[in-house]
Amino acid sequence: MADSSSPQNSGAGQPNGRRRFIAVVTTIVAGALAMLTPLAAGVATFLSPLFRKRESERVRIALLSQVPDDGRPRYFPVSVDRQDAWNRYPQQRVGAVYLIRPSGAAEPIALTAKCPHAGCFVGYKVGDDQFRCPCHTSEFNLDGSRVHGDAEVSPRDMDQLPVELREIEGADGESATEVWVEFIDFQTGHREKIRTA
Amino acid sequence: MSGPLQNVVAWLDDRTGVRELLRQAMYERVPGGARWRYVWGSTLVVAFATQVLTGIFLWMAYSPSTQTAWESVYYIQHEMTGGWLLRGIHHFMAHAMVMLLGVHLLQVVIDGAYRAPRELNFVLGLVLMLIVLGLSLTGYLLPWDQKGYWATKVGTELASQTPLAGPALKSLAIGGTEYGHHTLTRFFALHAGVLPGLLVLVLVLHVALFRRHGLHPRDPDHAPDAMFWPDQLLKDSVASLAVLAVVLALAIYYGGAELAAPADAANSYAAARPETYFLFLFQFLKWFPGELEVWGAIVIPSLVLAVLFLVPWIGRSRGGHLCNVALLICLLGGVSLLTAQALNDDYLANWTERSDENAAAYDASAAFLAAKREAAHEAERVIELVQSPEKIPAAGALTLMHDDPLLQGPKLFAQHCAGCHNYLDRKHPDASANIVNAEPTAPNLFGVGSRQWLIGLLDPEQIDGPHYFGYHQSPFVGDGDYTDMVDFVQEALDEEMDADEEQQVRAAFKKIAAALSAEAQLPEQAEIDRRDQELIAAGRELMEGGLADVVANGMSCTDCHSFGEMQDIGSPVLDGYMSRQWMIDFVRNPADERFYGEMNDRMPAFAPHDDPRLNQLEEKSIGLVVDWLRGDWYRPDDASISD
Repeated sequence: MADSSSPQNSGAGQPNGRRRFIAVVTTIVAGALAMLTPLAAGVATFLSPLFRKRESERVRIALLSQVPDDGRPRYFPVSVDRQDAWNRYPQQRVGAVYLIRPSGAAEPIALTAKCPHAGCFVGYKVGDDQFRCPCHTSEFNLDGSRVHGDAEVSPRDMDQLPVELREIEGADGESATEVWVEFIDFQTGHREKIRTA
Repeated sequence: MSGPLQNVVAWLDDRTGVRELLRQAMYERVPGGARWRYVWGSTLVVAFATQVLTGIFLWMAYSPSTQTAWESVYYIQHEMTGGWLLRGIHHFMAHAMVMLLGVHLLQVVIDGAYRAPRELNFVLGLVLMLIVLGLSLTGYLLPWDQKGYWATKVGTELASQTPLAGPALKSLAIGGTEYGHHTLTRFFALHAGVLPGLLVLVLVLHVALFRRHGLHPRDPDHAPDAMFWPDQLLKDSVASLAVLAVVLALAIYYGGAELAAPADAANSYAAARPETYFLFLFQFLKWFPGELEVWGAIVIPSLVLAVLFLVPWIGRSRGGHLCNVALLICLLGGVSLLTAQALNDDYLANWTERSDENAAAYDASAAFLAAKREAAHEAERVIELVQSPEKIPAAGALTLMHDDPLLQGPKLFAQHCAGCHNYLDRKHPDASANIVNAEPTAPNLFGVGSRQWLIGLLDPEQIDGPHYFGYHQSPFVGDGDYTDMVDFVQEALDEEMDADEEQQVRAAFKKIAAALSAEAQLPEQAEIDRRDQELIAAGRELMEGGLADVVANGMSCTDCHSFGEMQDIGSPVLDGYMSRQWMIDFVRNPADERFYGEMNDRMPAFAPHDDPRLNQLEEKSIGLVVDWLRGDWYRPDDASISD
C-alpha cells in the first residue's frame, strides 16, 4: 500500500487515526473474505435446486380399451424415465392417475391422485362413489369435484390433467388407441392450479 | 501414595486452571436446597447427550441415498448386534425430549423464571425447543420408509405454502423438484450436522446465562442452601436415570423403533401420520377448509410462537404473568385435546360400532386401520424378502417388493381381475388376504389348480355353484350355450346307482383331481405330488379313458379335452393345466384355441399381441398375478421353494 508513514509508528501506543482506520478496515475485510468465500461457494452449491426446472412430460398411461365408458375410475400408475441426481431410472413410478370415461364419451378424463390440499395420495376403493383422501378427510366426487364444495378441506377440486388419444399400429398390423396424459405437478393449498417450478 | 498424583494435578492446574473450572462448574449455590423440581433442565441435557451418543453410532452404519437409506437402517435394526436397541433408545429418547421440553417450559412459566434478568435465557430456551423439533422432523425421514416418507412429504408440501418463499423453500429442503437422493443428503446434514451444532452453541449460551443469573428459587426459605455438587447433581442423575429407564422400557417393549416398508412414490400409504407430538398440528389442519389452510399450517402456529417469544415481556406485571400461565395451559391443553381428537378419529373403529350417525367417521377410521395393517404386513414381508439367501440387490429393497408375487399379486388382481373374479378362502371367509366380489361373474380363483379346488370343481353339488361355473349369467350352466362340462359331472352320478357305485365315482373324481392338480406343479403341493405318484398315475388312466367305465354317462375327460396320449381332441387342453405357463398363456388370450376358443364370452385377452404396446398388461404383471394365484412365492421357512 502507498502508506508514507514510517514502520516505527506501528508499534507505538497511540497510532494515528488514519492508520487505525486502515487497520480496522483491513482486518474486517480480510477476515470476512476469508470466511465468506468458502461460505459463498457452499451456498451456491446449496442453492442449485433453485436453478433446475421441472418439465412435465407426456406419459402413456393405458389403452383406451382399458377404460370402458362406465363412469367408474380406473387406477393407473404413472411411470417415466426419471433422473435423480446421479442416477437415471428407466420407467420409474412417480405418481398415479385415475382415468374415468363417462357414458358415451370418446375420451376419458384424467385426475392426478395427488390431493390438492397437502399432497397425500387420494384413494379410491372399487365400488365406492367417492374419492377419499386418507390424511385430512377430503372427499371428491367421481368427476373430481369436491363433495362439500368450499367447505371441503381441499381448496380446489382434484387436478385434471390434459388427455390425448394416440392411434398406434403394431408390427402385426393390429392397431389400438393409447391414452396419453401430460403429467403436471401442481402446487398444493391454493384455489388456483399453479404449476410447481 | 497420593504424592505423585497430586503433583500431576498441580502441574495440570498450573497450566490450565482446571481446579477453578471444576469449582465453578460444580459448586453452584442452590438457594433453598436441592429439590426434585429443579431436575428438568438437567434431564434435557442428558437426553441430548444420549441422542448425540446413539446418533453418532447410528451414523457409523447409516447411508443416505434412496437405494441405501432403508437398507442400512434395516441392517442396523435386524442384523447388527444390539442395533434395534440403539435405534430404540434414539427414537424413544427423541419422544422423551419433546415431553421434557414441555414440562421444562411449563415449569419455567409457572415459576415466573423468565422474568428480568432472565428474559434472554427464556428466548434461548425457545430457540432450543425449535431446534429439537427440527431434529425430530428431519430424523423422521431418514429411514426412508413409507411412514416417514409420506408424512414428511406432507410436511414439505405445507412448507411450500409459506407465502412468497414457499416453493423455493420446498425445493431447497428436498434438494430438487422431486424427492430423491438429495432430499436424504440434505435432511441428514441438517439432522446430524447443522441442527446439533446449533443446538450445542445455543445450549452453551443457555447454560452460561443460567449460571450467570443463578438458579431461580421457587422458595428460598424452603431449606438451608445447598451446593449443586453433590446435592442437586445427585437428584439430577437419579431423574436422568429414571428417564432412561422409561425410554429403555419402551424400546424393549416395542423391539426398537418401527421400520415400515421402503418408501415407494407410487404406492400410496394411507396411514401416513406425523410423529405423535406433531399430531396436533395434523389435526389442526382439518379445521381449516379450502384456502384457509395456510392459516392452520403456517400463520397461526407462527403467531403462537411469536407470542411465546414475548412471554418475558408480557409477564412483567402480575396480571401479565397470570396471562402467560393461562396461555401456556391453554396451549398445552389444546395440544392435548387435538392429539386426543386425532387419535380418536383414527382409532374409533376399534371401540365403537358402526351406526348411521357415525358412518363416515367410522369408515375413515376403518380405512386407516386397514391401511395400517396392510403396511405392517408389507413391512413384515419385505423383511422376509431381504433376509432370503439373495439378500438386497444393489438397486435396493424396493425392487424386491416390486418383484414379489405375494405383495404385487393382490394389487394386480384387485385392479384387473376382481371386477369379475373372487379370491375367497371359503374356510377362512374373514382372512385379510381375501379379495371379495359380492356379485362374481367368473369363478373363485382361491387355490386355483390345487386338489381341493379341483375336488370342488368335480363335485356335482359344487360345480354349478357361484365359486365354480354357477356365476351370474354363466354360459356353462342352466340355459347357457356350453353346459357339457357341468352336465357331465352332474350326470356322472345316477339315481339308480347303489352306494358302492357312487363311492367308486367319487373316488375316481378324487384321483382325477390329484392327477390334474399334479399338472399344475404347485409349489405347495410338491411334497404330496411326489408322495402320491401311484394315485396320480391312476388318475391319469381314468382321464385317458378309464373314467368311462365308472361313470353313468360312459365318458371320460379325453372325450372332449386333449390330454396325454390323446391329442387334438379339444379344449381347454389339460396338459399342464394351471401350470405357470398354461395360466400365463390363458391370461394372455383365453379365446385361444388351446383354451376356451369361441366359448370365451367375457374374459378380456390381456396380452394377445406380440407387440407389447398393444397389450393391456405387460408380461411381468401377468407373471406376478399367476405366481400369486399359484402360491408361488418365496417362503422363508422353506428355502427349496424359492430355488
